[in-house]
Amino acid sequence: MNDVKVLVLTGYGLNCDHETAYAFELAGAVATRVHINSLIDGSQTLSDYHILVFGGGFSWGDDHGAGVVQAVRLKTHIGSTLKDFINKGNLILGICNGFQTLVNMGLLPGFDGDYQTRRVALTYNDCGNFRDDWVTLKVNSKCPCVFTKGMDILEYPIRHGEGKFYAEPKEIETLVSNNQVAIRYAMADGTRAMGKFPENPNGSVDDIAGICDSTGRVFGLMPHPEAFNHPTNHPTWTRTCDQARRMGEDATTRAQDTLGIRLFRNGVDYIRNRGL
Amino acid sequence: MLKRLEIRLKPQLNDAEGEGLRKKAKAYFGMVIDEVRTIHIVTLDADLSDEQLMTIQRELFTNPVTQESSFEPLDTDFDWCLWVGFRPGVRDNPGSTAVEAIEDILGQKFKSHEAVYTSKRYCITGKNLTEKDAHTLAGELLANDIIQQWKVFSRESWDPLTGVGFNVSKVLLDHSPTVSTIPVESDEGLRKISFERSLALNAKDIPVIRGYFCRDEVLSERARVGLTDPTDVELEYISQSRSDHCNHNTFQGIFRYTDIETGQVVIEDNLFKTYIKEPTLLLKDRKDWVVSVLWDNAGIGRFDDENNYVITGETHNSPSNMEAYGGAITGIVGVYRDPLGTGLGSRLVMGSYGFCVADRDYDGELKPRLHPRRLLDGVIEGVKDGGNKSGIPTPFGQIYFDKGYLGKSLVFVTALGIMPAKVKGKPSHEKKTSPGDLIIMCGGRVGKDGIHGVTASSEVFSEHTPAGHVQIGDPYTQKKMHDFILEARDEGLIEFITDNGGGGLSSSIGESAEISNGCHVQLDKVPLKYDGLDQWEIWISESQERMTVVVRPCHLDRFMALSGKHAVESSVIGEYTDSGKLHISYHGKTCAYVNMDLLSEGFPQWEFEARWQTPEMRGLVEPVLGEPENYNDLLLDLMDRPNMCSKEWVIRQYDHEVQGSSVIKPLVGKERDVTSDASVIKPVLGSEKGLAFSQALLPSYSAIDAYHMTACTIDEAVRRLISVGADPEQIGGVDNFCWPDIQYHPVNNPDGMFKAAQLVRSCRALKDMCMAYEIPLLSGKDSMYVDGHLKGRYGQTQKVSARETMQFSASAVVKDINACVTMDAKMEGDLIYLIGETSDHLGASEYYEHLGCTGANVPCVKASHYMPRYRALARAMEKGLVASAHGVYRGGLAVHLALVSMAGCLGMTVDLSQVIWEGHEDKLRNDRILFSETPGRLIVTVPPEHKSVFEKLFSGMALKMIGQVRSSLDPLLITGMNGKQCVLLLPGDLKKSWKKRFGDVI
Repeated sequence: MNDVKVLVLTGYGLNCDHETAYAFELAGAVATRVHINSLIDGSQTLSDYHILVFGGGFSWGDDHGAGVVQAVRLKTHIGSTLKDFINKGNLILGICNGFQTLVNMGLLPGFDGDYQTRRVALTYNDCGNFRDDWVTLKVNSKCPCVFTKGMDILEYPIRHGEGKFYAEPKEIETLVSNNQVAIRYAMADGTRAMGKFPENPNGSVDDIAGICDSTGRVFGLMPHPEAFNHPTNHPTWTRTCDQARRMGEDATTRAQDTLGIRLFRNGVDYIRNRGL
Repeated sequence: MLKRLEIRLKPQLNDAEGEGLRKKAKAYFGMVIDEVRTIHIVTLDADLSDEQLMTIQRELFTNPVTQESSFEPLDTDFDWCLWVGFRPGVRDNPGSTAVEAIEDILGQKFKSHEAVYTSKRYCITGKNLTEKDAHTLAGELLANDIIQQWKVFSRESWDPLTGVGFNVSKVLLDHSPTVSTIPVESDEGLRKISFERSLALNAKDIPVIRGYFCRDEVLSERARVGLTDPTDVELEYISQSRSDHCNHNTFQGIFRYTDIETGQVVIEDNLFKTYIKEPTLLLKDRKDWVVSVLWDNAGIGRFDDENNYVITGETHNSPSNMEAYGGAITGIVGVYRDPLGTGLGSRLVMGSYGFCVADRDYDGELKPRLHPRRLLDGVIEGVKDGGNKSGIPTPFGQIYFDKGYLGKSLVFVTALGIMPAKVKGKPSHEKKTSPGDLIIMCGGRVGKDGIHGVTASSEVFSEHTPAGHVQIGDPYTQKKMHDFILEARDEGLIEFITDNGGGGLSSSIGESAEISNGCHVQLDKVPLKYDGLDQWEIWISESQERMTVVVRPCHLDRFMALSGKHAVESSVIGEYTDSGKLHISYHGKTCAYVNMDLLSEGFPQWEFEARWQTPEMRGLVEPVLGEPENYNDLLLDLMDRPNMCSKEWVIRQYDHEVQGSSVIKPLVGKERDVTSDASVIKPVLGSEKGLAFSQALLPSYSAIDAYHMTACTIDEAVRRLISVGADPEQIGGVDNFCWPDIQYHPVNNPDGMFKAAQLVRSCRALKDMCMAYEIPLLSGKDSMYVDGHLKGRYGQTQKVSARETMQFSASAVVKDINACVTMDAKMEGDLIYLIGETSDHLGASEYYEHLGCTGANVPCVKASHYMPRYRALARAMEKGLVASAHGVYRGGLAVHLALVSMAGCLGMTVDLSQVIWEGHEDKLRNDRILFSETPGRLIVTVPPEHKSVFEKLFSGMALKMIGQVRSSLDPLLITGMNGKQCVLLLPGDLKKSWKKRFGDVI
């Protein structure tokens, strides 16, 4: 079989699993939604997959810090399996709650192959509330991140109450100097948001919206690329569609991936090029 | 062993929660606070070793990057420290997830007496704060004494060693469950007991109930199972089933309707049957997309060949008025169980909200339990947590302010789901219970919460309303159950499913057992939160997040295995029979044994006297107003009015695009900040079909005539759908009535007969509109008694009744989402059309309200004229001729032109002399054209090259080009009848005015 296989975690209040699996399917993979307990009890085996996704949403109600309880449960039960999975050259993607889980497990930032230590955090938004809005993101072209390769400016929605990226200055410096910051909140033209609200929607230090480990194969981000799986997901699509129509273009052409699907396709292509 | 862990953010980190409290204290009470730091407290009542405690402190409760924690009180500076925790028995969601997490990490289960309790303390610095201020903050902002308790510490009274002490809100009921019997010797005696036990039995039902229990054959049957007089379990069952909430006695009642002007009397027997059921059944036959209506938890319509969608609406008013957050979260999480319990179960795809509250800045002398501002904050937050944590998008909602809601505020919640048309080859909308099928309760456990919630919502709100029915919904537990049930459904394990909402097991099992004609329930098998509940309490408790699922014995093992995988508790609590009896036992002893058909025993209909007085008879006339001179300021002020202005602050708190299905968002336009007419989602991700949804709410027109209120509301909801590109042939509706008490009483409800007449008229409009627009009612709900008795300045109470309110929700399939249209002007040079004629319809308009008038000329719908133009517009959109479309709603033409202009960030020129005026020429005046609220109108912008094709589609209809879209530098320029400039405002200035009221609210 030449399928790139993706495992999307579900259960314990997680959401976004359906659309994340769908987005990976659009990107050419075979995606399966797997309950956390099926992975723990062995009825599903992680090594049968190439990409593991910690999706967005709330896990365990996020009552004790977003992603904390999920991180503990996975670390306790399948911590070593996860390490093997990474070391075999597979990919891990954490979106929103999944990103929060990855940093709480210590899989990110994963300095020097240390996939245990919590060094960075995603904490309460400075604006003081949950916020749903689309943001512009600037990709760091020097970053080894597999998922953002070849991309420059992205637009995705953010939907979180705890998305402020925070770490001690020395950790931020290391992240920056290692080029592990994959994407940053930006102004519409792609210049840095410099902490400006609402372009930087949560007060993230250094406008950081997503980071990867030093291999570029473990990636976490707060925005939701899976929620841009169709052109009509974009907040001003009726305006661009109207313009296209006036130019005589077929406004309903669906030949191109959305910016959301491109991110997933990067991951799928990476696995395919690497060899299954 | 008790241990208390205190957790705080590191001092260099911004404490957003504390900062929020600081800002609110300033805005609401003018208090000057320097800083607030929040400390989270986890109190562990469990036998754990020091090593275990350190593990959970380190791994679970302390983020090393952002937090610090200690088992001793943390030393955080303050002038006042406020501790807030839950009262015993109140759902502590963080406490229970903490237990799950601790069990997981330590690999050991908590014992039954062990638990975790969460609370918070707020360390407040502010030199001028008094003790009274501290109590105000605690009582008015942080805690609600119904569900929470608090303590105030000053710097002096704080003991750094003991801190807040140990606060364990454990429920201890020193009580052995007892079934008591109730003598039925006399009507009077039973009435007395009904009152004492808060049974809320209707006086007229009492002889029927007595008649049944005194019948010889009933007595002898009961004797065989060891019963004599009715038990409390039985009477509670009857009371729940007969409550207005469950049985809709008002809508099924007899109304004697007198038109005082003509003297004509009409007997209206069963409003539900005449005005809701009959038209819907007629339309079901005409519309083949209607799959299932009028019986299940929600209505079902066809989405596409493989999928059906499900829709229903609810209100959660009474609990939200007691505890805003708890009431609202319970309401939204509760309505989500309806689609989950419809057919064989549907997946939730969206929710919406509607809040009706009194003025946010109310400073009058009446004292509602919660100030409107606090109530609004609470319900907004409740729906936020309920929707967001369920992973269900909330892409539509409305907030409406009116002083009438000071007595009782309204919380509307609506839910939509989607399900495969077939499950294992069988239609998913059909289900039944059969003898031998097992009754399984899934999800949460049963406690004392919610007892008598149903009967409380059937009563006028007063200081005696029992607080026990206030609960806090738990979206986490329900989300697990939701995922579990859908997997069980797809495996074909479910025969029948329904939710446990109002009335608890009593309703869900009582109603589902009618299908098999009997059941036997063993109450001792129901898992409880704590011991000591009486049998009747188990039977009617409304503890949340529970479904009743019916499974064949052969599927039980697989069902339970799936339940285990999803970490959901499921228990077999009985089975269906065909005995004709509702049979309930507890540890083998029968505690209820009544005929299944007891409820069709011939209970009397409720009766109402309804008297209609025309607006003229009530003295309503048009105000005498000269034409305004300064239209610019007038328009800016209208844009700023609470019911007109931007609600972006609420909309962005709600996740409106989870599930990746968002097509038309609640905020649209160039700057993505102007409110959309309707929302569209794509519930089946791979499909290019969509589902459009809108709601309308126009209670102000009830000041003149609830018939027109209802007609206009429905027309608005439909126009909203049409504006985004919905198919006019597939519109379904959900009516949601919230009415003040209509039972006349010379002292307590002297205008009850008028309100009853308003209800009859509203129902007539509902039917007229549904037939004219061909809208089957997929679901509906009624909440009566929207009244409150509030204490005033001198200790007197004053009754405050809401305006007669009907929220109408409309849904429709969108054939191709790529043809959807938004309301923002798109391009300079586009032609601006106004569809529809404008009349002198200023009665109860926003304009009149702004000037303090009511008037008499209420807007009237001409449905037969409107539907053809809506169809024409739908065709124009299909052909791609339309750049933008927006209905003219409350506020009138000026306000809605401004919105189109603002949303597109483009100027416009409009000539009022081009507007089609219907009515006397001598009434023609700029302000009437600009602010009339005539329904049936839409503003459409069209690229000039489509002019002739577009106009041809509307031939013979009221359509007029009234202006043109200008550039981004141009103003909105409206020229009056006399050719002189009337309004000249930049879109940016209009937007500023529209946003300023709530612009800095977070």
